Amino acid sequence: MEQFLDAFYKTFIYEDRYLYFLEGLKYTLIIALFSCILGLIFGILTSVIRDYHKQTNKLAILSKICDIYVYIIRGTPTLLQLMILYYVVFKTSTISPIIVGILTFGINSGAYTSEIFRAGFDGIDKGQREACKTLGLNYLKTMKHVIFPQALTKIFPALGNEIITLVKETSIAGYVGIVELIKASDIISSRTYDYFFPLIVSALVYLLLTYLLSKIMKLMERKLNHAI
Amino acid sequence: MLFKIKSLSKKFGKTYVLKNINLEIENDEKIVIIGPSGSGKSTFLRCLSTLEETTSGEIFFQDIKLNSKNTKKIQGKIGMVFQNFQLFDNLTVLENITLAPVLNKIMSKEEAYKQARIYLKQIHLDKKENEYPNDLSGGQKQRVAIIRTLMMNPEVILFDEPTSALDPEMINEVLALIMEVSKKNITMIVVTHELNFAYDFATRVLFMDKGRIVEDGDKEQIFHHPKTDRLQQFLDNIK
Repeated sequence: MEQFLDAFYKTFIYEDRYLYFLEGLKYTLIIALFSCILGLIFGILTSVIRDYHKQTNKLAILSKICDIYVYIIRGTPTLLQLMILYYVVFKTSTISPIIVGILTFGINSGAYTSEIFRAGFDGIDKGQREACKTLGLNYLKTMKHVIFPQALTKIFPALGNEIITLVKETSIAGYVGIVELIKASDIISSRTYDYFFPLIVSALVYLLLTYLLSKIMKLMERKLNHAI
Repeated sequence: MLFKIKSLSKKFGKTYVLKNINLEIENDEKIVIIGPSGSGKSTFLRCLSTLEETTSGEIFFQDIKLNSKNTKKIQGKIGMVFQNFQLFDNLTVLENITLAPVLNKIMSKEEAYKQARIYLKQIHLDKKENEYPNDLSGGQKQRVAIIRTLMMNPEVILFDEPTSALDPEMINEVLALIMEVSKKNITMIVVTHELNFAYDFATRVLFMDKGRIVEDGDKEQIFHHPKTDRLQQFLDNIK
């Protein structure tokens, strides 16, 4: 018992080490939040461009570029993408690793998100687009007012999953020197030679985060469904 | 002249669904198209509404050739009512009806709401304006869909089997509305299997079979004095 308390003391209290966790949590949250926003923007743009091409045969080159983007991102490990961005693309720049992290996870999530949206758009009865066409609505108006809102309700659970995955995936940001939650716990373990508390606490924090997220998504889902 | 159709053919894969159709349709005609399943009735309507591209031949609408370049010119002028209603589930009844005229700047939002409420009152659905399509019965949905099309002030409305997806007891309320609309100065083309309705409604009847227009005449001729055995057989079969 005494050993247990000692480990607890060394992990959190001594030298105010809990601050490391808080700092780590802060970066985890920052990266997760901004890369999620970026991922949604990339995902929606990519899926709409590909859908526009599918419906109208226009924007062929741009659509092909989107295809390649999705193919490459889905075909390579996220860690590799992070390292390439950090050690190759931004090697000589003084850009903050946090930004590199946000960019990596945003670009990565965008590819997956775009596939989720694509499935959503494809899942809408094509009669809905035909009705819009006979009412004289162009592609963008049809997408904005009819297809997108309906697709969003259908894909919401999948989108929630993607966001939760993204939050957990930010844990590899430590590889490029970002002190996020896991890296923070790693630093403390290396000082105390105790792994139990740092790792368990990290796990609990992630669980709490994803629990809250899924609650929020559920609430939003119910709101969306209520409208329909 | 409203429509002029020259040598229209349409094929899906290797199968011709429409074969060399030539037809002229005047303003204000009330046309019913009858014929067996797979005779090309719906495809014909879909070609007129530009939802399907033609394989060969030409369709002129008020002297405008229908093709992908001219879609803006005919915007909203060729209305269509679908078998499965195709109301927008994410929008309320009122929003469904006013979406297109407002977005296409045919009316202001206030004008559109005012007009929509007049129509909704006429079809006794004024209390449902804030409900979503999923709260309506099939007959109510189809009547809202017809109003939605009317709101665009179309020159012609195409009805693709408007009552086929309905429970029997809801068919009449929809047919009654179509009859009501027919008093307006709008050309209407209806694909239907409701022969009693067709007889009351039509000024002209087309009988299609295997992708061709086999007979074209007034209702007396088509229903009482068919010229071809095929039409006689069709009428005998569904009576």
